[in-house]
Amino acid sequence: QTRQISGIVSDKNSQALPGVTVVVLETQKATITDAGGKFNVTAAVGQTLRFSYVGVKPIIVKVADGTKTLNIVFKESATDLNEVVVTGYTSEKKKDLTGAVTVVNVNDIKDIPEGNAVKALQGRVPGMTIFADGSPNGAVTVRLRGTTTLNDNDPLYIIDGIPTERGLQEINQNDIESIQVLRDASSATIYGSRAAAGVIIITTKKGKNGTQRIDFNASTSLQYYNSKLSPLNTIQHGQAYWQAQVNDDEFGPNVASPIDPSVSNGIYTYDWNKNYSNPQLNSVIVPAYIDAAHTMKSANTNWFNEISQTSILQNYSLTISNGSPHGNSLFSVGYYNDKGIIKETGDTKYNARYNSDYNFFNGRLKIGETLSATYMKDPVLPTSSITILSLIENPIIPVHTVDGGWGGPVAGMDDRDNPVRLIEDNKQNVNAFGRVFGNAYIDLAILPNLHFKTTYAADFAGNYFRSLQLPYVAGFLSNPANQVGQSTDYEVTETWQNQLTYDLNLGKSKFNFLAGEENIKDKYQNFNASAQGLALNNIDYAYLSAGTTNIVVNGGGSGDALLSYFGKATYSYDDKYLASATVRRDGSSKFGSDNRYAVFPAGSVGWRVSQEDFVKDNMPFISDLKLRYGWGQTGNQNINNNAIYSLYQSIYGNAAAFSGDSGSAYDLNGKGSGTLPSGFTSTQTGNPKLKWETTTQSNFGLDFGLFNNKFTGSFDYFIKNTTNILIEPPYLAVLGEGGNEYLNGASMENKGFETLLSYNGNITHDITFNVTGNIAAYRNKVTKLPSDVLTGYPGNGTTETVLGRSINSEYGYVVQGIFTSAAEVANSAAQPGKGLGRIRYEDLNNDGVIDQNDQKFLGTSDPNFTYGLNTSIGYKDFNLTFFFQGVEGGLVYNSYKYLTDFTSLAPGSNWGTRTLQAWTPQNPKSTIPALTLIDANNEGRYSTYFLESGSYLKLRNIQLAYDLKNALKKIKIQRATVYIQASNLLKFKSSTYTGPDPENPGNAYPIPVITTIGVNFSY
Amino acid sequence: CKKYLDETPQGVVSSADLTTPANTDAMVTAAYSYLGNDHYTYPFSSMWAFGSIRSGDAYKGGGGSGDVVEFNEYETFSTNVITNASSDAVFYQLYVGIARANTALTLVEGQSVANYPQKVEREAELRFLRGHFYFLLKILFNHVPWIDETLQKSAASYGAVSNVALTSDQLWTNIANDFRFAATNLPAIQSQVGRASKGAAQSYLAKTLLYQAYTQDDNNNVTGIDQTKLAEVNTYCDSVINSGHYSLNPDFANNFLPQYGNSSESIFSIQYSKNDGTPLGRLDYGHCLDYPMNVQYGCCGFHVPSNNMVNAFKTGANGLPEFDTFNNTDVVSTDGYSSNTFDPRLDHTVAIPGHPYKYQTALLYDASWARAPQTYGPLLSMKETVAYTDPSFTRFPPFMSSSKDWEIIRYADVLLMKAEALIKMGQENAALPLINEVRQRAMNSTALLVQANGQPTSNYKMDIYKPGVNCTWTNDYAWQALMFERRLEFSMEGYRFFDLVRWGIADTYLNSYFAVETTRTPHLAGAHFTKNRDEYLPISLNQINFSKGLYKQNPGW
Repeated sequence: QTRQISGIVSDKNSQALPGVTVVVLETQKATITDAGGKFNVTAAVGQTLRFSYVGVKPIIVKVADGTKTLNIVFKESATDLNEVVVTGYTSEKKKDLTGAVTVVNVNDIKDIPEGNAVKALQGRVPGMTIFADGSPNGAVTVRLRGTTTLNDNDPLYIIDGIPTERGLQEINQNDIESIQVLRDASSATIYGSRAAAGVIIITTKKGKNGTQRIDFNASTSLQYYNSKLSPLNTIQHGQAYWQAQVNDDEFGPNVASPIDPSVSNGIYTYDWNKNYSNPQLNSVIVPAYIDAAHTMKSANTNWFNEISQTSILQNYSLTISNGSPHGNSLFSVGYYNDKGIIKETGDTKYNARYNSDYNFFNGRLKIGETLSATYMKDPVLPTSSITILSLIENPIIPVHTVDGGWGGPVAGMDDRDNPVRLIEDNKQNVNAFGRVFGNAYIDLAILPNLHFKTTYAADFAGNYFRSLQLPYVAGFLSNPANQVGQSTDYEVTETWQNQLTYDLNLGKSKFNFLAGEENIKDKYQNFNASAQGLALNNIDYAYLSAGTTNIVVNGGGSGDALLSYFGKATYSYDDKYLASATVRRDGSSKFGSDNRYAVFPAGSVGWRVSQEDFVKDNMPFISDLKLRYGWGQTGNQNINNNAIYSLYQSIYGNAAAFSGDSGSAYDLNGKGSGTLPSGFTSTQTGNPKLKWETTTQSNFGLDFGLFNNKFTGSFDYFIKNTTNILIEPPYLAVLGEGGNEYLNGASMENKGFETLLSYNGNITHDITFNVTGNIAAYRNKVTKLPSDVLTGYPGNGTTETVLGRSINSEYGYVVQGIFTSAAEVANSAAQPGKGLGRIRYEDLNNDGVIDQNDQKFLGTSDPNFTYGLNTSIGYKDFNLTFFFQGVEGGLVYNSYKYLTDFTSLAPGSNWGTRTLQAWTPQNPKSTIPALTLIDANNEGRYSTYFLESGSYLKLRNIQLAYDLKNALKKIKIQRATVYIQASNLLKFKSSTYTGPDPENPGNAYPIPVITTIGVNFSY
Repeated sequence: CKKYLDETPQGVVSSADLTTPANTDAMVTAAYSYLGNDHYTYPFSSMWAFGSIRSGDAYKGGGGSGDVVEFNEYETFSTNVITNASSDAVFYQLYVGIARANTALTLVEGQSVANYPQKVEREAELRFLRGHFYFLLKILFNHVPWIDETLQKSAASYGAVSNVALTSDQLWTNIANDFRFAATNLPAIQSQVGRASKGAAQSYLAKTLLYQAYTQDDNNNVTGIDQTKLAEVNTYCDSVINSGHYSLNPDFANNFLPQYGNSSESIFSIQYSKNDGTPLGRLDYGHCLDYPMNVQYGCCGFHVPSNNMVNAFKTGANGLPEFDTFNNTDVVSTDGYSSNTFDPRLDHTVAIPGHPYKYQTALLYDASWARAPQTYGPLLSMKETVAYTDPSFTRFPPFMSSSKDWEIIRYADVLLMKAEALIKMGQENAALPLINEVRQRAMNSTALLVQANGQPTSNYKMDIYKPGVNCTWTNDYAWQALMFERRLEFSMEGYRFFDLVRWGIADTYLNSYFAVETTRTPHLAGAHFTKNRDEYLPISLNQINFSKGLYKQNPGW
């Protein structure tokens, strides 16, 4: 018997698929799924339905007894040409795109628990580079197509249509429906201001019409560090010291008056042959205690082990959604807790979201909102100090004294604090961050094709931080004072957008028009205060009113506004010829009234060659081929809010410990304390002529699909010129403070390409695989800089400058090797401090003397290219994914080499084990300079000695997932997956990089290996 | 909608807001404030990094030669470079002080006396301050651009002034004119003790004229001495001496103890403060590296008296310094503290193992308090530090310092400047009582130099110069005595190097110092003073480039 069969066709991301052809094979009755993926056909039991879709293997279903509804899922996503891509206030089908847009496969990253969705994108978007350390709060630096300007290079984020400069670490990763990266100007220009460094568009999930579901995701990870540095242990440190001292005695600065290492070192004594011409060390004698008071027993502390831990990371989210023709709603909560691999660090994040929309008058009026709330708690520890200290604190220092106090440095050591103490004494200091971000909109269809939409958004973010500084004694370091500090700040950004869209279909010609207006206002205020003299050293007591002395109060604020008008028209003819034009006029409060507004135009054209008959007929293997060209301009205004004004500030006094005071208070009365007379400090010179910085970009692109879209790919070549770069250059000293002035003074060019290639293969019905690789490269060049500011950049400021070179150029001395014979020392250029075992610098100008004129450009830190390779293999219900990412070329300044290779540059610190392989007459092949305690040769100078290859290849992620859906058939479950995965499991680096991780050359918070087990359920 | 983009700057004032009399006066305070805005990377309070560790009186200290490598470059001379960051920093910082003075001068000159009765006095104070900052620039860099309030402030107009637009002598004259104006228009006594007085201006004028009197050629060679200037030095010193407002403190120690700030010996000092509403206090940040590395303190072991300096405090059997032989035996390496006799100023100046630190009999300085004894030996400088129990002491980990005022000119300097002028004018006999006044006070300053058991810390044996009894007071001898007295009286106070350059002996003095001292401490290996170059720091490459080549480099660099 025949019956009505209806259902929804969707892709593996539960995204409805419109345009799927449904044919009843027996009757040849056909229909096409609508915008919601819905279909309705008449068929009889036993007949066959064939669901076909461009580029995908059709799905064939027999109509069984009782079949009334059929929900079809296309698991393969061989084609995503009909995928809808959000491109600036509107959306387009991917096949119609003419700009360089990367649609991220959110599925690939949704289970990677990095605390920030963007962090997981490293290597997945061609041309996008992520700089991040391993700190739990997930902060990252993102660069698209290299360094574009000398000021803010951060991309603009658009979250549900609202621009924001805050990253994604505050957003629940599970709420993200899609991520699109707009790399070129033709697509980004519609965002005008702030879009010069690219745009990342995030759309959060919404309820879907006709569905009701519960999603639950949970994962737990274990994280640890697998690339430790190797500092010396106690005995080794003694050996290195001894070697340095006897080197100095034997052929170094104190040949004339040798000093016995046992005498010169306050801690170790040595059993050695006392023969300065052939020194032999029998043993290093470690004293029982390192201090005269016998409170600190000599230890062999591995400080890194003391501060680090294997820790747990947990991630849970629950999403409930509902959809009907009258409206959709989605509610989600998330919990993220990363304990960090440095003890007592961590990040706890709570997210909640409510997204809903309501349809009235048959869908002609739509009212909707998104609302998200984030609350994050982060202990504020001096983590960069802690990680560095764990490498340089002397191993002989015990963590604790014999009576339970803190171990610390003693005579002859540097003033380096006990990193365990820094952890324990700061763990009570927790920063609380809250953010409420949401928007509400009304979308009215005035005519079926004419929509008016108005959106109001508010983004309210603030921090509250209260800290207690505890008194301590650690070796010769101490501070008897306690102090409470409290600080709060808030930033509120209000955005109001109004837009009108009109679709016009005239036969084969399709038009789409957009006109809009946007107002953005940003306000920021902060307040902080501190006080000392608390009666109790207890965080629960430590409020400002408990402080009795040294009460200090500060506060400030700022604000800025943007006002923009924009329009866009897109045109397509017969799906073959595509064109779009955009114009945006932006006004910014940061510029003077003459230069407030700037107009940013853009245009692009595309040709879908594959739609031409001559291709269709003659080259059937081409399933898709599109040529694209785009050109456009974008702006940048991200500078100090008041740069057009000359200003004075009432700076009373600064905390001048690490930098000088710019305060204006002075004790004219000579009382020594109390409130002081004070004045004003000049803080800047205004430049009322400031104007927008402009980036002009051309993009040549090609998209293709071959063999029924088994092979797909894209190629983009771009030229990006930034002019009138807003710089605040260093200036002539005689101007004094406040001589700093913003100028539109520099130009820069980036050229590069990005390629993405993908192969989808099915070996058998059960075995599928998909490989996606990308490679990208760019070259940066500074094309203009005012001549008097060149000194502020690499080079000598006159004949050797960064002009015509990458802004990331390295400039310094060239190391030729080590002086290995007296003759070599005698016959080389004059070099103050030269000697046996010392670094030999190249006399570049051949004038017989090594001085500052013997420096040159040594290369750049820009990589030659970056790449990523993602492989996904499916077998029945198993799926294995592994993703490699790498960087090839580019120099990295390995600053830690100061300590791994030298005993002289920080003689009171611990050093690296490489010092044990340093040059001696008995070890003449070594390339590590002879150990010495006196750096007479200035070997810390910027030279090729510290510049190493930044190349690496990392197994960023590997995941094995098992789909339980078949196993759990009996339960009505839509989706059930268990998976195990690991991040950063393997790492390959160039052998010329002597540190552990060229991705983290400053040895900031270590990047951990994260191993995760997780489940996803949808009901 | 136009107004939507009008954002009023928050929490700031514009230059138009400063023209009220009250705000103008506040800008005078801001100019004073810069006296105390130095920092350990560019210490322009005592100038220890520029004048002490370049003089053979002190080593850099700290954690090895690479710890603040800029100062190591100063100490060795041979490694100094035109890109030394501290040279650039101090150049900039002193011009900030000048800019503050010029800004305030412009505002003050815009006031009427009716609205702003203190107008002329404030002008005088500001020119005093400007003179001070220019004086420091002059002795550091020799050729610097002269920017004053007559020049409209802009990058274009300031950038058009070359550092060689004026000759060295013209620069001195401009600086002297600032002090001359101040000396004429300042009151003898200021109700607010931190303000410059007539005596301060006269003293600084004398100091300026004394430097100017030693004429130099274009290659830094001292070519002669201007008797007219010397006579002026004598006159202005006399005005100060005869004013009746100043006298030497009874105890030398008082000059370096916080409770005696603004004493009768203080002619002009930097007023530091704490518990004053600033985050850490308006502290003496320029000296915060100079404390020892023990639990009572903890950082950073910089500014270490040289062995040569300690030896200079030795006295002969007659209680007088041993001009030629003091350095023949080394006190430090032979631990000769008990086998020699000393000028008491040794224990006021140098922290010595086993001796009370900063007069604290219960707190004996120990060799282990030094930062890198294997490199810089066991000593430390003490004049700039305070007892950890003193209320002025403040920690701001890892650093520490105090709110103790720092003397820019003290009365002893006036006495010895006058003595120097007199000797160079051939009136050594008139100089004798001045030198002896300084010595007599030093001799008397042993009350605090005692150990816990009440015994003197060292063997003090000191006498004044008694011609015919313990010396023959010839002009040449008097000159030796004057040079030595300045060294001992002001050792570690930061100006010794500039004395050596003024006298034209920097090259011979320092190279003979290096010849001996290198055998005592290896860190000086390779140190060498290049005559006709190292008398002045090079103009920083940055500034030459920022000036688009208008600034000319100093000779030899």
